[in-house]
Amino acid sequence: MQFGIFSVGDVTPDPTTGRTPTERERVKAMVAIALKAEEVGLDVFATGEHHNPPFVPSSPTTLLGYIAARTERLVLSTSTTLITTNDPVKIAEDFAMLQQLADGRVDLMTGRGNTGPVYPWFGKDIRQGINLAIENYALLHRLWREDVVDWEGKFRTPLQGFTSTPRPLDGVPPFVWHGSIRSPEIAEQAAYYGDGFFHNNIFWPADHTKRMIELYRNRWAHYGHGAPEQAIVGLGGQVFMRKNSQDAVREFRPYFDNAPVYGHGPSLEDFTAQTPLTVGSPQQVIDKTLSFREYAGDYQRQLFLMDHAGLPLKTVLEQLDLLGEQVVPVLREEFAKNRPANVPDAPTHASLLAARAKGDEKKSDEKAEVSTV
Amino acid sequence: MNELVVVSAGLSVPSSTRLLGDRLAAATAAHTGAEVRVIELRDLAVEIAHHLTSGFPGPALADALDAVTGAAGLIVVTPVFSASYSGLFKSFFDVLGAWDKDALAGTPVLIAATGGTARHSLVLDHALRPLFAYLRAVVAPTGVYAASEDWGAEGLPERVERAAGELAALTAGLSGRVPAARPEAGGFTVVPFAEQLAALRD
Repeated sequence: MQFGIFSVGDVTPDPTTGRTPTERERVKAMVAIALKAEEVGLDVFATGEHHNPPFVPSSPTTLLGYIAARTERLVLSTSTTLITTNDPVKIAEDFAMLQQLADGRVDLMTGRGNTGPVYPWFGKDIRQGINLAIENYALLHRLWREDVVDWEGKFRTPLQGFTSTPRPLDGVPPFVWHGSIRSPEIAEQAAYYGDGFFHNNIFWPADHTKRMIELYRNRWAHYGHGAPEQAIVGLGGQVFMRKNSQDAVREFRPYFDNAPVYGHGPSLEDFTAQTPLTVGSPQQVIDKTLSFREYAGDYQRQLFLMDHAGLPLKTVLEQLDLLGEQVVPVLREEFAKNRPANVPDAPTHASLLAARAKGDEKKSDEKAEVSTV
Repeated sequence: MNELVVVSAGLSVPSSTRLLGDRLAAATAAHTGAEVRVIELRDLAVEIAHHLTSGFPGPALADALDAVTGAAGLIVVTPVFSASYSGLFKSFFDVLGAWDKDALAGTPVLIAATGGTARHSLVLDHALRPLFAYLRAVVAPTGVYAASEDWGAEGLPERVERAAGELAALTAGLSGRVPAARPEAGGFTVVPFAEQLAALRD
């Protein structure tokens, strides 16, 4: 199972000091956080994509390329890459380039985005959100798998004899997770292609997450990719820890109360009771995270939101130390217990390459058999 | 599924808005025999406000949204505030629409309102009727407005009876609604992917 962090990249004043970091500080902080993630033994760093203040990460592959050069193991991903408003041709090129540079340590999570005006700013119609996601991904999928593509669709100029360069590393496209919180169409899309499905459950009650994942698993099996329990599921999480849970609550409360997303709304206590947010001791984080399996089944990727709402970099790095040292090792051990042998790990470049080699071998065996008959 | 649900946005206890809702429910149930469930928005006010900021309902609100979505017939009653339905009333239906935009599609709805004087009675047709038309509910032709003076005057029981009769008839007439057959998984209706893709290639 993979553990990692995902960042929104918000520039938010620290409510306890009133100080707002500069964009440069925030961009550099995202890098420092990614490097720390590798240092403490996490597997994945994912960045959001935004095209409006107060967010900095508009150019994910630039950020991830820089991080790739300074890390060795970390898988670089997105949360999410806007499949609706980005040109799928540019996504194909950017991520293949990144994949080459990062020696395959790349996957991505597609999403539709939640900021309405981004559609018109990029010349798209928000009412076509789902259709854009479907058509753009269908093209992206082909661009990574066919060397020369002729294509015509509703939303983009046609392509004749187009080759997206560079080609995916070793001919193996980056693995794709489809992220959606509320749209069954996207769970269906992920299932159809046999891709991963990421449910960012951090603002949602367990019951809703359970239903979305159940849908994806059943449809995955329907499309013949394997048993429902073999589908590739990712979940979000959101934690703030101190050794003593009282200290965690005391320290985090002003950040919670003023957070851009849920601040000035439900109480910290209600929110932690109803959503995956955990504010407490490392043990409480472990218990809560392990409980995700009860409604999501055995899953492949767990990403935590750690750097938001104006938390200072120093605090975030301390949190990552706790996560890497005290939480994730226990989670790895516990999640491995009673995990059925047929439940796969999250696909990586190495595993996809190996699977393809195995497939090729099987094919050539079949051919050999045919020729001897 | 054959529940008759009353949504009352009255704020005082006891409230004439609730009283009107109860009268309408009793008159309708006398025709249909449906079970009646009353949802007092006052009790959900904080959860409704939280939903606006957090984007998801708390447990009691989720239960109310489920009840309204599954109702065979709906009676909605609001006090008139500032020449329209109350903000709490509107917020509840805003949240319902965000929860499931088809929640009331095809559901028979009886609209009702209360106020201090009869001067605002057109709020039924200028505010409530368009709201429920937008939500694609089937709104009964008769809405019931009760001003304070109506509780001591002639005419209200007849209007209640007429509106209840209409709602009962609509409920009976529409109860045979059959949703389109789709593969179901996780409680969601699924459009098969090939269909989604094909729709873009036409």
